[in-house]
Amino acid sequence: MKQISLITGACFSTLLWPASSAPSAILNVPVAARVLSFVQPPPSGVVPVAIVYLPGNNESEAEASAMERSLARSAVSGRALIRTHRVAVSNLAQMSGTRAAFVTSGLRSYQSDLAETASEQAILTITSDTGCVLAGRCVVGITEGAKTQIVVSKEAARRSRIRFGSAFLMLVKEV
Amino acid sequence: MRALYISIASTLAVVTPAASLKAQIVDYASLSEAFGEPITTSVTGKPQRASEVPASVTIITSDEIARSPARTVPDLLKAQVGVDVNRWTAGQSDVAIRGGVQTYNARLLVLVDGRQVYLDHYGMTNWNLLGVQLDEIQQIELVRGPASALFGFNAASGVVNIITKRSSADTRFAARLEGGTHGYARLSATAALPLTSRIGLRVSAGHQEEDERRIPARLYQPPVTRGVGADQLSATVFMQAGTGTSIELNGGASGNRQLEFLPSQILTEQRFRNQTLGVLVNHDTPWGSLNARSYTNWLQADYGVTTPVTDPYSAVADLRAKNRISVTAGSALVRLGAIGSARVGLEYRDNQLSSERLYSTRIGYKVAALSGMLDLHPTDRVTVTGAARVDRLWLEQGGAILMPQIDPASAYNRTITPVSFNVASSIQVGEEGRLRVNGGRGLQLPSLIDFGLHVAIPAPDVPVPVYLVGDPRLLPVVVDSVEAGYSHSFASGLRLDATLFYTQVDRLIASPGGAVDVTLVFTPEPIAAARFANVGAYTSHGIELSASGRIQSKISWSANYSLARIDETIPANRDATYYALFPKAATPRHRANITGDYADDVWSAAVVAHLATSSRQSSFLPDTNLVSIKVPTSISVDAKLTRALGRGAEIYVASENLTKARGVYSSPIPADRRIRMGVSARL
Repeated sequence: MKQISLITGACFSTLLWPASSAPSAILNVPVAARVLSFVQPPPSGVVPVAIVYLPGNNESEAEASAMERSLARSAVSGRALIRTHRVAVSNLAQMSGTRAAFVTSGLRSYQSDLAETASEQAILTITSDTGCVLAGRCVVGITEGAKTQIVVSKEAARRSRIRFGSAFLMLVKEV
Repeated sequence: MRALYISIASTLAVVTPAASLKAQIVDYASLSEAFGEPITTSVTGKPQRASEVPASVTIITSDEIARSPARTVPDLLKAQVGVDVNRWTAGQSDVAIRGGVQTYNARLLVLVDGRQVYLDHYGMTNWNLLGVQLDEIQQIELVRGPASALFGFNAASGVVNIITKRSSADTRFAARLEGGTHGYARLSATAALPLTSRIGLRVSAGHQEEDERRIPARLYQPPVTRGVGADQLSATVFMQAGTGTSIELNGGASGNRQLEFLPSQILTEQRFRNQTLGVLVNHDTPWGSLNARSYTNWLQADYGVTTPVTDPYSAVADLRAKNRISVTAGSALVRLGAIGSARVGLEYRDNQLSSERLYSTRIGYKVAALSGMLDLHPTDRVTVTGAARVDRLWLEQGGAILMPQIDPASAYNRTITPVSFNVASSIQVGEEGRLRVNGGRGLQLPSLIDFGLHVAIPAPDVPVPVYLVGDPRLLPVVVDSVEAGYSHSFASGLRLDATLFYTQVDRLIASPGGAVDVTLVFTPEPIAAARFANVGAYTSHGIELSASGRIQSKISWSANYSLARIDETIPANRDATYYALFPKAATPRHRANITGDYADDVWSAAVVAHLATSSRQSSFLPDTNLVSIKVPTSISVDAKLTRALGRGAEIYVASENLTKARGVYSSPIPADRRIRMGVSARL
């Protein structure tokens, strides 16, 4: 009887006890990839994307690896292909030719350079570090808590000449 | 090696489907994937996350549809909180929100991709005439409460908007074959074909048959009918016309025959044929979007097709009606930056009914409407929404007037200018809770039959001829509603929701039932007229509770309970004189549903249990007139077991009403148990 009570209690705990709702520090790459499709005009064919990270920073390198693993799990369908390559934040010239950049967190001191490069080359920057977006240096921020939240910097989007569909913009927080 | 694999795989990962074929401004599937929850436009007209809408909304996704034992849209809705589904016969269902169901329930507006499938001739929805297959549905959006400020007439107590899947970049084909007990057979197929990089085509077709339930002999003679039959063919062409502009052309034809209770509660067999043709244009701009649509629906409804001429009520049942409705509408949705958004819309509709059993050979109306919506976000956590719509209706008639003429022709030269509105506010509580308060006024328009029917009815005891006639003086039914709800989503996936509601429905329209009021009219010979009438009101209040969650990754569950208390004031119903309208008796006080489903790579299983407490439903018997029949409390179980057969194919067995609960369909005709097997394939 005691066992039954314990099991029942454990089940209710599983159902009712809220798990941690702290936002994830790792970019949700499937969502980031989906955000690309809301750019007007939508990209198609091979879409080069940079994964911008800080070599030597364990957290940044781990997030970059997680991004690559996440893309490896993505389903294969449709026409647009993301072709990723890593770009060290100290060598942003390698972003040339990309349409978007998935930016790891922990690059605060490099955000100005990143924003400048992205603006010059009309690159959509997406990160889980919403501080970068709030500072107007990254275009899109994605956080994962109880639910997905997407923040768009109007200023960064304007500088990078990125335009999103209106339906998408009505669902995000524009800052 | 692993790094190389990851590198190659990430290089080839495909993520953005068919960018060039996105022929809709609101790409429901992509937006839902991005935000991790369904997206809807059915509350305010702007895209919103399901968890943030300021109304009580349920969205049934395509995955949920695929797993469910349900095989019709009403079956899917039956498992939702606050919804009463009366499946009167094997083919006829009525869906009511928060109680007060009437046969041919006219207060729920049903749309497919925003195009009305609600039938105006009699104010009803024929759920076997929707013109879509379940396999092509992206999501079903159910809004509880008035929504006339956005959708116009008849979104009085709620809206069901069925959103279909879009075209894809790849050629896709899906087919389904089912067979089962009670003569059940169904074949359906859908295909999506990219014709060019900018043009896509979607085609769907289906055929379905099944036997009618066993009907008590006293309700209908003969007790066996030809059963239910439904056919459907539709096609949509999606075109991308430059950056930000998309065009959809759609057309279709559907047919259906089924046994039905009419609003008078007479049981007769009907045959419906419907065609539709329409165009939808969307244009996206930096400041918002523009939307324009035009469509026409043509309906031919043949009533009483199997009622023998020897039946004393054949004169009432035998009716052919042709209804054409043309709608042209446009709207602009404007983003107001961080402040919010606004919407303004215009609509014009022309609705005409032709029949030899009307006041004159044509009864119709034209409606012009102006609507607006303002959605404001004074803070990050608070939204305030207001919407209003004014409709101007011009009633008219034309052609030869059927004798005896009861009303002057001028009675049909009439205008109505009602206003509907919604106000709502939602407040984010913490990171995971949301409180909402909303209210509004919705309108149910009298049907064209209500306005203009003209048939003789047998009344051997009455010394003068008796006619059942519509009334051009009828007023729209007014539904006023307020509700307050709180929802809380935990990171574990558990979601809880509670809603309190109060609804008042005034000027109810009903068909004469028993020994009804008759008016003596001299035309110049004396006749008696029994008329459709605004007969009274009812209120509905109660609570809706729901919870859903997931246990590990393979099992999901949901449970809901609704309590609806109905109080009615129908002065017309007194002693032996009454109309076919009993909202209090017809509504089960308690309803509950529990759903559980399991899925792994090979097997999936779903179980849905329903509880509905007792109610009383009515039926018109030729010998005794209208009688009230008790429908017992029932607990029923629907189930489905599916096994995958490789990639894209599956075989399954499903059952409705495993417990053989007689009252589960809340119908005077007892429910039975039905089992079916099926196989489906996707390429």
